[in-house]
Formats: sequence, C-alpha cells, structure tokens
Amino acid sequence: MTARPRSARRLARGLVRRVADVMAPPQALAFWADRLVPGMDAGRARVLERRRASADAVTLVLQPGRGWGGCRPGRHVSIGAEIEGRRVRRSYSPTAIRADGRIEITVKRVAGGKLSAFLCDDVAVGAWLDIGPAFGEMTLPAQRDAPLLFLAAGSGITPLMSMTRALAERGMPVRLTLLVWARRRDELCFVDELRGFARDMPGFDVRFMLTGDTATEDDEGIGRIDAALLAKHVPDIETRRVLACGPNDFVDVARRLAASQALAFDSEAFTPPRIADDIDTSGSVQVTLAASQRVLTLPRSSSLLEALEAAGLAPAHGCRMGICNTCACGKRSGSTRHLHTGALEHEPVTALRLCVTRAASDLVLDL
Amino acid sequence: MTSTIRNRVLSAAELERFGNEIDAVRARTVATLGQGDADYIRAVAASVRWIGLAGRLLLMVGAIAGALVPALLWPVCIAGTLLLALSKILENMELGHNVMHGQFDWTGDPQLNGQAYEWDIAGTSDNWRKTHNHHHHTWTNVRGMDDDIGYGLLRLFPEQRWKPFHLFQPVIAVVFAVLFEWGIAIQDLRLGRWFAGKLRFAQLREQFRPVGRKMGRQVLRDYVLWPLLAGPFFLPVLLGNVVANVLRNLWTYIVIFCGHFTADAETFPRESVRNESRGQWYLRQLRGSSNLTGGRLMNLMTGNLSHQIEHHFFPDIPANRYAAMAVEVREICARHGQHYNTGSMPVQFGQVVWRILRHAFPSKPRAASLALQASA
Ligand code: FES
Repeated sequence: MTARPRSARRLARGLVRRVADVMAPPQALAFWADRLVPGMDAGRARVLERRRASADAVTLVLQPGRGWGGCRPGRHVSIGAEIEGRRVRRSYSPTAIRADGRIEITVKRVAGGKLSAFLCDDVAVGAWLDIGPAFGEMTLPAQRDAPLLFLAAGSGITPLMSMTRALAERGMPVRLTLLVWARRRDELCFVDELRGFARDMPGFDVRFMLTGDTATEDDEGIGRIDAALLAKHVPDIETRRVLACGPNDFVDVARRLAASQALAFDSEAFTPPRIADDIDTSGSVQVTLAASQRVLTLPRSSSLLEALEAAGLAPAHGCRMGICNTCACGKRSGSTRHLHTGALEHEPVTALRLCVTRAASDLVLDL
Repeated sequence: MTSTIRNRVLSAAELERFGNEIDAVRARTVATLGQGDADYIRAVAASVRWIGLAGRLLLMVGAIAGALVPALLWPVCIAGTLLLALSKILENMELGHNVMHGQFDWTGDPQLNGQAYEWDIAGTSDNWRKTHNHHHHTWTNVRGMDDDIGYGLLRLFPEQRWKPFHLFQPVIAVVFAVLFEWGIAIQDLRLGRWFAGKLRFAQLREQFRPVGRKMGRQVLRDYVLWPLLAGPFFLPVLLGNVVANVLRNLWTYIVIFCGHFTADAETFPRESVRNESRGQWYLRQLRGSSNLTGGRLMNLMTGNLSHQIEHHFFPDIPANRYAAMAVEVREICARHGQHYNTGSMPVQFGQVVWRILRHAFPSKPRAASLALQASA
C-alpha cells in the first residue's frame, strides 16, 4: 500500500534531478547545492568543537556531511583543508566514533606539518574540512575468546583509543591491557579518561611508558619497548591477541617481540611521509597505477610520460612540453620533481603533468 | 595595412637569454600563487552564478509581468538578457577558459580542476581541450597545424591558398560570428576531411555522438526548459536566451580574432617548429599574438585574453596574474628589440576586419618572411 506513493515520490525526485541537471551545468549545481544545504556534501565535515588534548595536540569533533559512509574503530580517514589556496590532506584515525555519526580526531603538531599546524592553531569551530571515505585493515578482532593487548607509540594511540572507547562503551566485554609510549608526560593524550576506565572497569589496565621523563605515578613506567618490559607488564602474553600501532621502527620491534609468543598479532605502522630529496636521477622507483591496478618499475631519469610509454602504456598526452594539460592525472602519494623548474612536490595533487615530471620516490598515480 | 614592424633578428645566445628571462618571470609568479588567487577565481565563479540567476529571474519576471503591464516587458527583459549574456561571457572567458587550461589545478579543488570542468557552450570541453589547449597552444599560428587560423573557413593570411569560395568570406565571417559556439563545437570533427572523402561517415558519426549530446543539452536548457518555466509567456524568455547566447558569441569572436589576426600577427611555416628551442617557442608565441589595451574591466570581460601574449607564454598560470607579468614581459621584449603587439579593441578589430576583407581576394605574401632566428 505504501509502496506506490514512495515509488512515485522517488520517480518525481529522479525527474527533478534530471531536469535540474539539464537546466544548470554541473559546476553550477554544485555551487547552489553548497549554498542551499551545506551539510549535504559527503566529502565535507564541519568542525563542531575543539579542545586541547595534550601539550601539542588538539581534539576536533567533526560532523561529516550526509551520505558519508561512516567509520569503524581502528580505521583511518583522510582529512583536508585549504591552506594558502591549496588543498592539503592527511590521514587521521578517529579517536572516537559516536552513534550520532560524529567523529573525533586528535591531531598532534608535527614539525613542519602544514595541516597539523593549521588544525592545531587556526581552524575555527564551524569551519568545513574535507573528509574522505574510511580505509584501513586493523579493526577489533571479531572473536572475543581471548584477552587483548594494545601497544601504542606516539600517534599510534589514535586507532587504539577508538577501539578502547568502543570496548568501554560495551562495559569491556574482554580483558584489555593498553601500553602507551611517549617521550614526555605532557605529550600523552587521553590520560584522565584512560585512568577513569582503569578505575571503573576491572577488565582494563593501562600503563604509560615514558622514554624521556621519570615515572612518578603507579601506572607509569619508563623505557623503550623490549622483552623484559613486556614480560613485566604482560606476563600472560601467550594468551592474548596483540594489536600494535606506531612508527615503523616501533611496530617492527613489537612484532619481533610479540608475534611468535602471542595468540595473534596484528599491526599498523604509519609511514611518515617520505620526503625524498633526490639529487641524482639514477635508479628506479615503484609506480602504482591505482585505477588500472598495476605496479611498474620505472626509471627516475626520464619524464613519467616517457617512462610509462616505454613500459608499453599509452597515457593521454598532447604537447609533451607542459602547456596543454592533457597528460594531467592525480597523484595520491610520493614525491616528484618538475623537469623544468626542479621543484620538488611531496603533497598528493589532483593534477600532475606526466610530461614535465619525473619520479623522486615511489608513487601512486590515478591512472 | 600591412605590417611595417621590424623585429631584431636574435642570435642563438640572445634567444636563449630571452627564453630564460621569460622563464624567470614565470618562476617568480608561480612562487607567489596562494589564497588570493583561489579567492579570486571563486569570486568570479560566484559572480557567474548570481548574475546568471538574476538574469534568468528578470527574464521570467519581465515575460510574466510584461503580459499584464506591457510597459514593463521590454526594459525588464532587456536587463535580464544583458545580465544573462554577462554571466555567460564571464563563464566562458574568465572562468571556463582559464580553469580548463589547468590554471587552478594547483589548488586541488575538484570544482576548479581543468580536466573535469564542463563549460556552458554547445561544444564539449573535451574537444576544446584538444583543439585549443593542445593544438592551438602548441602550434600557435603554424600553418597547417593550428586550425584556429581561420578555423578552416576563413582566409586571413596571404600565405593561405586562395579559393573562389573565399570571395564570400565577408558574409561567412558574420554568420560564423553569430554562430561561433556551434562552429567551435564541430571544429574537431573536421567536416572538411569528410567532404574531401578522407573520413568515413561511420567515423564521423562516432565522433559526433558526444558533441550531439552536449548540443542537445544546451538547446534543451536555454531554448526549451528555461522558457517553459514561464509557461504561456515563454516567448520573451526564449528570445532573451537566444540573444544572450548570440551576444556572448559575438563578444568571444571579437576577442579571439583580435588575439591572433591583427595586422602585425604572423603565421609560420611548418619548418619553423622543427627542433624549436624554448626561446624560439616563446618568440613564435609573441609574434603570433596581440594584446588589447584597457583596464581591469577589459581584463575581466576578456578572460584576460587582453593579455593574449602573456596567456600564450603562460597558458597554465592564473590569468589574474597576467597584468602584473605583462609589465616585465614588455620590458624584456623591448630590450630584445621585439615588437610587443598591443592596441585598443576598435583598432585591433579594425585590422581583423581588414584582413577578412582583403584576403577574400587573391593576395601574395610579402617576399621576405621574417626569420625567427639568425641562421648560425
Ligand atoms: S602533454 Fe601537454 S601538458 Fe603534458
């Protein structure tokens, strides 16, 4: 009975969209849509709240636009803002994912980081940020059979924090120990909240490990991750599922120490953006073509257009001298150098000109 | 009215220095691109939308109110038509043309991406990116390679072969101006090749498909759906849309023809681009282009093609920077003894009209064609 009006409505809506689409060019439609209902865009999120998280970190509460696909604890999203006219994007792992669709990200200021400085200092409540769909593989184990051990270093706390919060919300259905590393005490985030969980929930334990401060509290320890330290704080490691997140080196050590002992080991290392500053043009790099799912090994010496052609591909091109823009394609990651100006570019860009660019590091292209 | 300009013939070393100095202007500008440029183009985009909306609303109001109070009909509809034409001119010139050159790709804003932008004229952006961004900008004024020399229709330079058909070109030129966007739409189809039997009909039909779709969309938008919104009073709205599109066509035609077909503009034989150095490339762009004098309004309305020379040197630099770059470019040209072709729109267009009239009749190239570089 209700099927008829609903399908009629859908038909009408489809018709309206069709007609609107013809009545105004796509750019015009986007322009008016943005003015009429700014919250509709799934690619943007509004800053609802900001608060200090530690000496050099801030937490932002974001409301993504309608239609944004959501996120599970442990996954990442790409957040972007316009800085000096340019869109800058970085990945963050939400530290809280709320039932109402809002998410929190905690941003630590990185030395020389444009976006982190902007998010820490300049972004205002009410501002709009770019947001991408969630990605990433490390999420809470489906099985609740074994106790968990989370190992976090630096910003590695962010995905593990959202998982901890998700478990806390369900009253900690499984035993969990969280070890967090930081250099100094004032760099630690979420300390009060974690201590609160530890006090209220018998299954939860937290240890703050400091590498450049002395330990003063009961739940603090000192020193880098090693076998003795793990044995002291987690004597029952062979019964646990371990999730580790942090810089590459930390994750490597954690894997070496825990992978063979523990019941299961999962990890995620965040690679700090590799800032290539290549002078010599010898050797080759790995170029991943994201759209066609191919990985090629290309020389760094020639333009990307020539290198791709030599590899048997036929990318769109025209002038071959950087003026016609035909060869422009997106670059998701990696560093490139402009052949004429010698300028290095490390940011992901929407339009990289293959004919006047050579690879400076491994690349991921939208081809 | 033939050119009396004498350009100094540059040695290879001078030519290289010339190229390097122009490159340096470019580098200095690129280094300062920032928020101001992004804000500027967004302000242009917003103006296009608001002025366009105002124009369409006025047309609608004029048509409906005019049916009740006839005195209102003309003034309101004319105001609406002019605003709509203004919006379309801005969209074509300062927004669409410049965005599609990739001038704002560096912002990373998907709305300003050169490959994705689809503009508000009969032709597809894809075809235009090919004929204009690639062919015209790479092979500027090279005979046989740059189709924009007369668009395969007009004889504007004595070096082009005369055919009796060209006797009609004064009339053809006017029709072409009125229908300019439709001419551009089919430019890449190269109907001439089909007439000559070099292209099969099946191929032509395949190439026409996306163009036809875009054409249909434009007709539906301006000549069916918007007029229909006024119901029984559709006629003034329809007329207003037709006039707005024609005004836009005439304006863009004038601006574009003033860019490369003035008295001093040169064309080049195919040989001139063999092993062309960067300096030679710049020199060819300079000698094939001409600027228009005028203030900021002229720059805005022409999409900064009033700085055609700078546009041809730096097609991918935000056009709002050309005026500042022009000061340096002009000085560099003067120092190298190179003529910097600029003049008021009436004078420049007068020269274009003269070319159209003069070369409708047989004409001979001047004996000595100017060399781009001293033979070593
Ligand atoms: S092929 Fe023309 S810009 Fe690369």
